[in-house]
Amino acid sequence: MTATALPRRLLDEVLSGRGIWPAVPAVVVLTVVAVIPFCILLSLGFSDITVSRGVIVSQTFSLRHLATALSDPLYQITFQRSLTLALSTTALCVLLGFPVAYLFLIGNAWMRRIILVLTIAPILTSGIVRTYSWIVILGGRGVVNSLLIDLGVISAPLRIINTQWAVIIGMVQVHLPIMILPLIAVMSRHDRRLDEASANLGASRLGTLRHVILPLSIGGLGTGAALVFTLSYTTFVVPQLLGGGNYLNAATMIYEQIVYSLEWSKGAVTALLLMLSCLSVLAVITWLTNLGTRWTRASQR
Amino acid sequence: MPATAASGSQACVVEIRRVRKRFADLIVLDDCSLTAQEGEILTLLGSSGCGKTTLLRCIAGFLKPDAGEIRIDGRDTVPVPVNRRPVGVVFQSYALFPHLTVANNVAYGLKMRGAPVEEIRERVAKALATVSLSGFEERYPSQLSGGQQQRVAIARVLVLEPRVLLLDEPFNALDAKLRGSMQVELRQLIKRLGITAIFVTHDQEEALAMSDRIAVMRAGRIEQLGTPEDIFDRPQTAYVADFVGASNFWEARAASGQITLPSGQIVATKLDGDVSLLIRPHNLALSSAGGSAWNGRIISRRHVGALMEYEVEAGGTRPLRIAALRDVEAASLSTGEAVSINLRDPTACMAYPRP
Repeated sequence: MTATALPRRLLDEVLSGRGIWPAVPAVVVLTVVAVIPFCILLSLGFSDITVSRGVIVSQTFSLRHLATALSDPLYQITFQRSLTLALSTTALCVLLGFPVAYLFLIGNAWMRRIILVLTIAPILTSGIVRTYSWIVILGGRGVVNSLLIDLGVISAPLRIINTQWAVIIGMVQVHLPIMILPLIAVMSRHDRRLDEASANLGASRLGTLRHVILPLSIGGLGTGAALVFTLSYTTFVVPQLLGGGNYLNAATMIYEQIVYSLEWSKGAVTALLLMLSCLSVLAVITWLTNLGTRWTRASQR
Repeated sequence: MPATAASGSQACVVEIRRVRKRFADLIVLDDCSLTAQEGEILTLLGSSGCGKTTLLRCIAGFLKPDAGEIRIDGRDTVPVPVNRRPVGVVFQSYALFPHLTVANNVAYGLKMRGAPVEEIRERVAKALATVSLSGFEERYPSQLSGGQQQRVAIARVLVLEPRVLLLDEPFNALDAKLRGSMQVELRQLIKRLGITAIFVTHDQEEALAMSDRIAVMRAGRIEQLGTPEDIFDRPQTAYVADFVGASNFWEARAASGQITLPSGQIVATKLDGDVSLLIRPHNLALSSAGGSAWNGRIISRRHVGALMEYEVEAGGTRPLRIAALRDVEAASLSTGEAVSINLRDPTACMAYPRP
């Protein structure tokens, strides 16, 4: 072993694709774009700062902002609202998404293609555009109200836009594909012989759905629910546009604290609370999913 | 306590009458008719695409035939939904529910029928004992070997006491050694329970070993239905002769009820004109040159278990396959050697018209 051989061997080792080396680029990128900013955010939340012309000139440790956030009823209301909105969005996406995935499972090639296109097409359009289109549909002179008035069902336009109903409708529409895709992934791997075996053993279609297809879809439901919850709990666009400023959730609160009030420390604390509460709910979803998929971890012989 | 698979009472359990099925332009089943008797193991044998699996799926109810009747105990089952048929299917891949334990897999059908918990426990335990899997109740299918998975699949349908057991290539997923012992075991189990079984395979050895009767299928039709002896010793068509067992087809002319072989031996036939004569490899005997007027030369030799199989160039369109027990003199002949050929048993040959 000579000294000159070392760089050469190191290079070989790096390029070999063994051990930790393949993960290094991703770790470097994540450190720069996620870990460091997160640490800065953390430090902002736990300090008093003085900002001059957009630059922090002094920073001293303080738990003041955290204490305020934990005692202020406005935070409590806002986080409760965020949680309710995200959980109802997730629940509605599960209820609406699963039947679509089931249709995908039992459908023929054409049905499958149509479902895939209809699921993926909305993702190709920006969420902002899709959200704006709801203003056109749900507005005072929008499609829904015009139709109902023309049909004589109502005499004056319903107030839908700028209410929590508009927000929920928009949220479900924006996030539904995120729910359906992991479910479709599970369904396309589903072995239809199991359904035949179930029917042969005496199960009705509903029995097979309940005792075979649903339990085997729990992994997909868990992934979808985790994604939809995370996105809808931290979303900012839909409540802002369809709630018309009447509907403040945690994300819009952070936006206002940082962009309008320029209270970076407050915003940092809110962001921290948002992240921690989100992780707690994710932990619950993961725990439930694991409970439902115990069999996948049964020790091999 | 062996159930009496009585040979006297030949009650017909499954009766398939003129069943047709087509997928788009492809005719998969073409006027298939077939019966299975009480306690019988009937095998549908054929190469892939012959319609054997389609017929099985029609009996199970996964497919609906375009025409024809499938009667079980005299009742037409075509209108009966798949979950109400008295048939149990053992799938090629076993199709065990991966999320359920062995006990819950076996209990599945009983639960769907709303059986009381106590009864379910007893019957599951009994079914698992029948297939020697007691003690495996809490395992998941992924924790079992292939052979154990197969036994769970069998217990899962047997627990429901079906009238007919349908088995779709159940040995395919097993390695060759295990296959043999599972064949014996499964045949004994089916016979002990006295259950009627219809079994699908493309493996002729498996069919010969497992079956009471074999239906050789070809292009959606039943080419021949008979006992393993019928199928192997008296194949009705050249296709069956070729498909089941190793075979030689000797091209010859039949005249006045006789086919004369180069050795001077005579085979009786009802045919006249150009024929193909089926001669099984073990029906030919080799001797050193000069032993008969039928002379040839050994092209190659191959060890096949207890046999030595020779390829002999003997004046036919194709070389003859000749099998000899290894311990007899003929087994020591070497490649390139000149030999003479004799037919052992002229009555064991079958002649088919040659187009």
